[in-house]
Amino acid sequence: MEPIVVAKNLTKSYTKGLRALDNVSLTVNQGKVLVVMGPSGSGKSTLIRTFNGLETFDKGELSILGIKVDSTHDERKIQKIRRRVGMVFQQFNLFPHLSILENITLAPVHVQKRRQIEAEEYGMYLLSQMGIDSHAKKYPSQLSGGEQQRVAIARALALKPKLLLFDEPTSALDPERITEVLDAMRRLAEQGMTMIVVTHEIGFAKDVSDQVLFMDSGKVIEKSPPNIFFSNARHERSRKFLNQLDKH
Amino acid sequence: MLKIYISSIKVFLKTLKKKLFSNLFNTIITLLIILFISVACFNTFEWLISQANWKVVISNLPLYAFGSYPPNEQWRPATWIISLLLLSIFTLCGPEWKWLRKNLLIIWVGTIPLGLYLLYGGFGLSPIMSRHWGGLTLTILLTVCSSLLSLPFGIVLALCRQSSLPLIQKLSSIYIDAMRAIPLIAVLFFGQLLIPLFLPVGIEIDRVWRAIFAFTLFVSAYIAEDIRGGLQSIPNTQIEAANSLGLNQYQIIQFILIPQALRIALPALTNQSIGLFQNTSLMAILGLVELLGVGRSILANPEFIGQYIEVYVWLACVYWMVCTIMAILARHLEQRMTINQANF
Repeated sequence: MEPIVVAKNLTKSYTKGLRALDNVSLTVNQGKVLVVMGPSGSGKSTLIRTFNGLETFDKGELSILGIKVDSTHDERKIQKIRRRVGMVFQQFNLFPHLSILENITLAPVHVQKRRQIEAEEYGMYLLSQMGIDSHAKKYPSQLSGGEQQRVAIARALALKPKLLLFDEPTSALDPERITEVLDAMRRLAEQGMTMIVVTHEIGFAKDVSDQVLFMDSGKVIEKSPPNIFFSNARHERSRKFLNQLDKH
Repeated sequence: MLKIYISSIKVFLKTLKKKLFSNLFNTIITLLIILFISVACFNTFEWLISQANWKVVISNLPLYAFGSYPPNEQWRPATWIISLLLLSIFTLCGPEWKWLRKNLLIIWVGTIPLGLYLLYGGFGLSPIMSRHWGGLTLTILLTVCSSLLSLPFGIVLALCRQSSLPLIQKLSSIYIDAMRAIPLIAVLFFGQLLIPLFLPVGIEIDRVWRAIFAFTLFVSAYIAEDIRGGLQSIPNTQIEAANSLGLNQYQIIQFILIPQALRIALPALTNQSIGLFQNTSLMAILGLVELLGVGRSILANPEFIGQYIEVYVWLACVYWMVCTIMAILARHLEQRMTINQANF
């Protein structure tokens, strides 16, 4: 099996000596789903944002889809990675001045230089996969949060990525809207998409993930398969966190 | 239908009574104001109808419109102004064909080369030098050319001011601050009097173009600040999203930043172009015979001496009308742009 992400000893520190990432090492293989959990400020967002170059790191090695990046943050390599890695944000970050379909076709047309018609056809296919093809002509502000997040997933998929990163994709949604987004993500996992998901959704992590990574203050505390992590976490800190989550 | 109409009038009268005549003091104030307004209206109308001598306006209409443009060629500027007017009407209440709406901007930009061709002549029309241009035609030409040139220049300045390269960033902020610290009339003087001195012998730029150039230099600094405000109000997450899609820096500027910044800055930009339209009247002092210049030269004619009020009232009406058209067009554009995206 081909590793998609290989990180070795990633370290990132802020000026005050605080470490956002502290010797983080991990491997994600093709077709696997990794869920990253941890309290806020634990560095989980920072971690997945380094995987497409939105964050830099100071020390360590990172290889995404065989492209090696180091702390020099080589712009050309990062562009190459971004063309093959999709990202979905907590706040959707759709482009408000573009229609739903234009949001999706922007990158295929201008980054991959695909033909407009071709990109639109594929965009419509993705929207129908997400069950929102009837909204193609609308603008982001006319859609509900759940619908916007599904558009954001379709937008990330439009570049036919090999890896999808999700940064708390359901944290800004109403409880009723969370399911529709999680279902879309489940279907992607079933289709064999490699995904790294930062989330607090235990149900999703239990059902879909192959590994759960637990982080606290920049360190990887524990990396276990979900059945072990949720029933019998090895580390005291993980158990404490899970107890807190259960109370909510 | 009629019943509803009458009852709404009744409600209106009732509120009027409650608000304006509720006690003695209010009644007195209301009556005084009514008296004052009616006296003012009466005097104005009396002057407008019986005292004013409108011959100074009526007999000089072509002069106000075209300046000293040769009379048998005046159909050319007339065609241009009428086409602008028709295009405005068409933009506001024309049919909703999609392909047409999409290309309307190009048609608008296209009116500038059309106007220049009609005014300059050549290619089958007899050439006419710019010193014969004047009146409303020249005013509109100055406004349209300057605002269209200063928009891209202002965008570039705004982007430079946001640039991460310190030299470019400093240079553009020095330029913007300097331009905003100099009065417009000084910049216009510079354009008219100093530019010819700086240019090598034999090269001469037309006075009209020197004026357009000076206006562009001045207005683009203000436009840059308006657009910078727009750029700064775009959240950083938009850039992150565009980055993660693999768009490069120029594509982000072109597809994400500028369209959103322009939309946010649109009301301020309207303000600038209306201001610019009125500021073109400063050129009358510097010897271009635009709308105000025509008024001044007519007043210098012994036949019409002393008829200041008629001429200036008339000019005020013309300026008001054109500004209103511009404001309505801008509001229309704003509504179209925000129609689907009210809250972002």
